[in-house]
Amino acid sequence: MSTSIIPQLVKKDFLLMRKVIFISIALSIFSTGVITQLIGEIPDWTLVNIGILFLLAPVFACGFMLMMFTNVHEKEKSTQPFIMSLPVTVREFTFAKLLFNLSVFSTMWVAVSAVALYICFGLGLFPLGTFPFITIVLLGIYAAYTCGLGISLLFQSTGITILAMVIFEVSTSASLWTIAYMKPIANHIYGANPVWNSTAITIVTVQVLIVIFAIVATLFIQNRKRDFI
Amino acid sequence: MNIPLAVQCERITKQYRHFQLQDVDLSLEQGTVMGLVGPNGAGKSTILRIIMGLLGPDAGSVKVLGHSMPDHQIAAKRNIGFIAEDMRLYESQTIDFHMGFLKSIFDSWDDEYAATLLRRFDLIREQKVKGLSHGQRVKTTLMLALARRPNLLVFDEPTTGLDPAVRKEVLDEMMNALEEETRSILFSSHNTLDIEQISDYITFIYGGRIIESKNKEDFLDDWRRLRLTNMHSSQLPNLPNIKDAQQSGQLCTVTVYDFDDTIPKEFTNAGLSVDSIERLTLEEIFLSNVNFAKGNMNKDLTL
Repeated sequence: MSTSIIPQLVKKDFLLMRKVIFISIALSIFSTGVITQLIGEIPDWTLVNIGILFLLAPVFACGFMLMMFTNVHEKEKSTQPFIMSLPVTVREFTFAKLLFNLSVFSTMWVAVSAVALYICFGLGLFPLGTFPFITIVLLGIYAAYTCGLGISLLFQSTGITILAMVIFEVSTSASLWTIAYMKPIANHIYGANPVWNSTAITIVTVQVLIVIFAIVATLFIQNRKRDFI
Repeated sequence: MNIPLAVQCERITKQYRHFQLQDVDLSLEQGTVMGLVGPNGAGKSTILRIIMGLLGPDAGSVKVLGHSMPDHQIAAKRNIGFIAEDMRLYESQTIDFHMGFLKSIFDSWDDEYAATLLRRFDLIREQKVKGLSHGQRVKTTLMLALARRPNLLVFDEPTTGLDPAVRKEVLDEMMNALEEETRSILFSSHNTLDIEQISDYITFIYGGRIIESKNKEDFLDDWRRLRLTNMHSSQLPNLPNIKDAQQSGQLCTVTVYDFDDTIPKEFTNAGLSVDSIERLTLEEIFLSNVNFAKGNMNKDLTL
C-alpha cells in the first residue's frame, strides 16, 4: 500500500480543472496564430506589447483560475474537511497543491515563453541584445505567479488572493519598466549580442530566489499550522 | 480483560478567543458507540476535529486506533470514516467521481458494499452532487465513509437537518455498520433521541467541559423524578443528589441523580409524601445536567 496520496490528490485536481486547462491551451494556440499573422503588419515593439499580452493572458488567467478553484475554493466551498479526512497531512496537502499548480502553470509558461522567444529572435524581429530583458520579463511574470500561489494557499481567501495578485502584477509591471530604463540593461537592448552583465544576472538571480522563497516559505508556514480546517 | 481503546483523549485543552476546551478526558472502547451530546458551541465539533487531527490541542494527548494524533494521522486516518455537517463534496462532479477517487486511495474500498449502499439509499452513481438534496448528500458522504470499511467512524452532527425518514435510514445504516465487532462509532448530535437510539455510551458536554460520561443504561438508571406532596410546608432534606427542585403550592417535583431506594425514604422522613417516582428521558437528563452545569459555572464566575 502506498503511504502517500499526493498522486491521487494531484490527479483529482487535474480532473476537476481539465476543462479550464484545455480551454487555456486552445486560447494560447489561437493567440499564437493571431500574433504570427500580425508579424510585419505592425511595428515590432507594438507587436511585442500585444504579443506578450495575447500569449500570456490565457496562461496567467489559467494559473489564477487554478489557484482560486483548487486552493481557495477548497476552503470556501467546504470540500477541505472531506480531503483532510483522508490519510493526508497538511504538508502533503500543500505539496500536492503546489505540485499541481506549478506543473500546469510551468508547462504552459515554458511553452509560451518558447513561442515568444522564437517569434522575437527566431524570426529575427529583435536583435539578440533584447534576450536578457525578455528573459527578465518572463521570469518576472513567473515570480509574481509563484508569490500569488503561495498567498492563495496560506490564506485560502478570495479577497486576499485577488488583492495579492493585483499587488504582485502592478509591482511586477512597475519593476519591469524600471528595469527597462536602467542603463546597464537599456544600453544593450538593441545590441547584436546578449549582454549578461552583473545587473542582468543579479535581477535574474533575485527573480529565481523569489520563486524559491515563495515555494519554501509556503511549505514551511503550512507545515507549522496546527489547525487546518 | 482490557478492551482496546479506539479513541483515548487525555486532558486535552484548546484555547480560542471566546471559547476554551478544558481538560477533556474521553475513552471509546473498540466495538462500541459513543454519543456526544451538547448544545451549540459546547465543543463537540472541536473535540471531534482534534480526534481527527484537523486541529492540534494546546495540551493533552490524543490516541486514535493506537496512533498518536496529529503526528501519526496518516496511519490513523486510513481506518477512519469521517463525516461532518459542514463537509461538502465537489459540486460539479458525480457520485461516481468521488467513489473512484476514494477507491484509488483506500485498498479496503468495497465495491460490492458501495453498490449495496447506493441501492439502499436510492442514489444514482451518475448524478452530480449539485443536484442532490441535503438528505442525499448526507447519504452519499455516509456511503463514501462506510464503503472504505474503516474501523472507526467519526460523525459530527450526521443527522442535523434531515427529515425523519432519511434520519432513520442514516441511523439504521450506522447500526448496520456495527455488525463488524471491532468497528466503533463516535458521533455528536443535538438530538438526544438519536443518541439514545444507538449509543452504548453517552457523554454530555457543556461550555468546553465534559459534564458526565458513562454507559447509557447507567445514565437512565441513575436519574429519577419524584413527585411529592408537601402538606406541612416541610423543608426538603439536604441531599447532594438533588439536581433540581420546583414547588407549586403543595406539589413538589424533585429531580435526583445517583438514585437508590433510600432516597424516597429521606423525603418521607422529612414529612413529604412520595406520590410517584418516574424515570427521565435522556433529553430531560441532558437538560438537568446542562442547567446544573450552567449554575455551577455562574457560581464559579461570581466567586
